[in-house]
Amino acid sequence: MTATTSARTDAGAPGQPADGAAAAPAHTGSRATRVLGILALASSALLVLYGLVISPPDVEMADSVRLMYVHVPSATYLYLGCFFTTFASAMWLWKRTPGWDALAEAGAEVGLVFALITLGTGSLWGRPTWGTYWTWDARLTSTAVLTVMLIGYLALRRLDLDPGARSARVAVLGLLLVPNVIVVNRSVEWWRGLHQGSTLSRIDPKIEGDMLVALMVGFLALGLIFAWLMIHRFRVAWLEQQADRFDLDEALALRRAEASEPSDASEPSDASKGTA
Amino acid sequence: MIAMTHAGYVAAGWIGTFALLGGYAWTVVRRGRKLSRQVPAAERRWS
Repeated sequence: MTATTSARTDAGAPGQPADGAAAAPAHTGSRATRVLGILALASSALLVLYGLVISPPDVEMADSVRLMYVHVPSATYLYLGCFFTTFASAMWLWKRTPGWDALAEAGAEVGLVFALITLGTGSLWGRPTWGTYWTWDARLTSTAVLTVMLIGYLALRRLDLDPGARSARVAVLGLLLVPNVIVVNRSVEWWRGLHQGSTLSRIDPKIEGDMLVALMVGFLALGLIFAWLMIHRFRVAWLEQQADRFDLDEALALRRAEASEPSDASEPSDASKGTA
Repeated sequence: MIAMTHAGYVAAGWIGTFALLGGYAWTVVRRGRKLSRQVPAAERRWS
């Protein structure tokens, strides 16, 4: 126990910060994330104003077009989360440094949140527009497969394995996310289905005026939220790694203390013999 | 806003989106606070 306590104190235990780290906060926030958070909240308020009040109903979709202002940006940030995970997985396989592993985990988890928003808002848009919440359209099916892959990736991360082996396995799975993103993105061109084609990635976009502004504000607001979540989630993953490392250090210190106990314990008994 | 068509779907989509994002953000911040107490200050490099 003594060795454990000293190991923590040397590194700057909670409540007893190490030299030069006295200002380290007991949370994952920083000045940058506070600014980012305020901007995210302000742009979200602007999104509500533009998306629900200012922008007019669509001629074909009527007011259900308002779901597109969160659906399309969410799908984009789902892709971005997958890109982060694949890139960080490749970097982890190359460099084997814990920061890349933490970034890969953050990208997958935040990406999953945006995947659920994409599927949820898409289903709610599909019911009044297509007459059904779900159909086995190529875009919908490939997005569902991507979501299941993200769930599988995060489940694999929680398996009780050797940390190095676990990181290697999830990194290989992480490499498969971007190829699937390409399939999702191209699916509307490769297969015929109900889902509409690209709205913005053309020289002549299909929407304009206040509707285009609302969509752009949607990209801004959800982009800021995505960035805020990524930074906080990366720091949580980093803290988890450090906590695991300190738990391992504690366990080793405890084992060493136990190993040295028999010789320590024998002394009092000898002494007691002598006294007797 | 009041005369909106498909108001239920739109409301469900928007409320669901912000509820999920808010709930997830709260969970992440809470996990961060809990873990920060277990990890030495030197390992928390942000300020």
